[in-house]
Amino acid sequence: MRIPTVIRRRPITAGVALAVLLTAGVLQFVGVNPAASQSATLTAFESSTDPGTDPASPAWKKAPVLQAPLSFQGATYPTGGGSIPTVSAQALHFQDRLYIRLQWDDATKDDTTTKVENFSDAAAIEFPAVSAATVPSICMGQASSGVNIWQWRADSQAGLKDPADVYTNALVDMYPSKDAIFYTARAAGNPYADPNQGPTQTLVAQAFGTLAKANVQDVKGDGVYADGKWAVVFERQLTGGDVDQATFTNGKSTDMAFAVWNGSEGDRNGKKSVSQFLKLSLVGVSLTGEESSPAGWIAAAALLVGFVGLGVGLGWYGYRESKR
Amino acid sequence: MALPKVYNWQLGREMDYRFANGPAKRQFAAVFNTNRCIACQTCTMACKSTWTFSPGQELMWWNNVETKPYGGYPAHWDVNILELQEKANPGGQVWDATKKDPKNAPYGTFAGKTIFETADGLTNMVTGYLPPEEDWKAPNIYEDTATAFSKTGVSLPEHAGWFFYLQRICNHCSYPACLAACPRNAIYKRAEDGIVLIDQSRCRGYRKCVEACPYKKSMYRPSTRTSEKCIACYPRVEGTDPLTKGLPMETRCMTACIGKIRLQGLVSVDANGQWFEDRQNPLYYLVQVAKVALPLYPQFGTQPNVYYIPPRWAPRDYLRQMFGPGVDDAIAAYTNPSRETLGVLQLFRATQKIIFSYKIQPGPKTGEINVAGKVRELFNDTVIGFDSNGNEIVRVTVDEPLIERPAQVTMNTI
Repeated sequence: MRIPTVIRRRPITAGVALAVLLTAGVLQFVGVNPAASQSATLTAFESSTDPGTDPASPAWKKAPVLQAPLSFQGATYPTGGGSIPTVSAQALHFQDRLYIRLQWDDATKDDTTTKVENFSDAAAIEFPAVSAATVPSICMGQASSGVNIWQWRADSQAGLKDPADVYTNALVDMYPSKDAIFYTARAAGNPYADPNQGPTQTLVAQAFGTLAKANVQDVKGDGVYADGKWAVVFERQLTGGDVDQATFTNGKSTDMAFAVWNGSEGDRNGKKSVSQFLKLSLVGVSLTGEESSPAGWIAAAALLVGFVGLGVGLGWYGYRESKR
Repeated sequence: MALPKVYNWQLGREMDYRFANGPAKRQFAAVFNTNRCIACQTCTMACKSTWTFSPGQELMWWNNVETKPYGGYPAHWDVNILELQEKANPGGQVWDATKKDPKNAPYGTFAGKTIFETADGLTNMVTGYLPPEEDWKAPNIYEDTATAFSKTGVSLPEHAGWFFYLQRICNHCSYPACLAACPRNAIYKRAEDGIVLIDQSRCRGYRKCVEACPYKKSMYRPSTRTSEKCIACYPRVEGTDPLTKGLPMETRCMTACIGKIRLQGLVSVDANGQWFEDRQNPLYYLVQVAKVALPLYPQFGTQPNVYYIPPRWAPRDYLRQMFGPGVDDAIAAYTNPSRETLGVLQLFRATQKIIFSYKIQPGPKTGEINVAGKVRELFNDTVIGFDSNGNEIVRVTVDEPLIERPAQVTMNTI
């Protein structure tokens, strides 16, 4: 049955316009800017429960996963890495805190650095500092635009041990003193040598070779190795400890990059597997957990209806046009 | 990436180095006389009991004495580097002894490649290797092990079965490999005395310095996860030890030496690490004038600052590999020392204070001696050493004073 075209086209046009408006509205509401999402974006939804630093927390079950490809670091000495091809990233925020979970395949758990030839597994996330004048170089930033680096280390998590505690049968006549001053790097304030530092370090850098301890050590974290995978959670309050650190704002996105070190491959320093800059976007909507908020469900449903409507409408419109 | 060119006078040529020359003023330097060492390890223990007695430093010996040719701490460090260099430049690691210049190329010109020049500049700035833990566990392995047992005995100039002791500390190189290798620039060389230090607040234990140092004098400490190295007892060299009341003082390993094999001081250098003429500095005299003391493995290219009087009984080809082409002249100059050389050798371990200059007062002829077919006159000259302010700090004679003890004193004697 042939229907007069003039009559039929109006509702289609109107439907397409409505779907576009609906989609745009929802995207605006959840803080995703379609024009800005040229690079891969990891969306941090609001968590309805505190994810904590346990990588096995149920809060992560429904958080979207971004597969970030990693590659050999070839920009500067010492080049290397590339043995970890990809890292799975998730992000959530809860109250005033940001949580990022990384997971990657690694056949060996390298969490001891007792021997000179031992190197630790580790992972890090890099963000532009609040004070950055422009988007910093992904390669550790530059003078006017620094970066804030959160590093988790397997050996730091396993704990700092004296060799005599590892080699329990070793014969040692005596140690005149075990005061901290005799652990030179520890006495000099080196975070890596501090047994109370915990598994993570809050670091800042303004170029290659300038990595330094941040004034405020406020990143927490924890890692679990199971079934040939490391899963690590980083946690920090949204507002950085000072201008050299990153700050996160609901409804806004920031640049972010990942690095993973594989200890058994001798990875350390620049010898690491690195990602490109990605986007981390914080949205004020909860899409996770078993008991997601009604607002989140409504937004998701509206988005779905909008996209379906848009697709059907455009398809029908195209079909009609081709028949004319 | 083109690296800066620096001048290495020990190699008699320019070479590639990661950094352009800095503003060096004075350089820590020492002369070790391998001929006198008895491997008592007093130096080793003086260092250990001063700096490396704490948890995590168990395998750390900033000073060690090893028996050559088999011994080494860490095991086989030198032959491992030589092999890596030979692989990188097969057949090319040779000297051109004809291209010689008294100041700029005193040993000739090295035609091969340094450890900086065989590295790719991407994965490594320096050709090297990371000795695993077990290589550090037997610091005195092969102690007193000779190459052969000669049933007919041995005689000079080269013993049929031989070994000698090699005393080693950080060379506080003019072009340190550790410094070039550190991606964090956590290692620095001080302009005032050339001492090379690792900043313990910045080191992140990457062990690139342990990998790069050809002498393996940068060491990993697991209890702090950082690397540490010989600090040249810098408080003593600065003169802050109360004993010398502000005067620069030699290091613990030097002053503890009972065999009197060591003399350490500070020499004035230009930006290339080339020594300004300072004729009456005992180190300048021994290294630049008498040329009796030679750098250890100069072909590595780091311009090391500990100089060795080579053992005069060991095979010359082995010694040339270890100390460069100056070996034959150095042994000749030591076997039959000039009157001045013999005088300067008396200053070894005469005082704990650093001797900045010396004077020799001629003394009477005391005899004649025939060494290696050469008749030499002996004189009982007096040698006077002066401190940094030009004040006399020591006075010794070539003939050791003979003190006769009264016969009646028998109590508590041996």
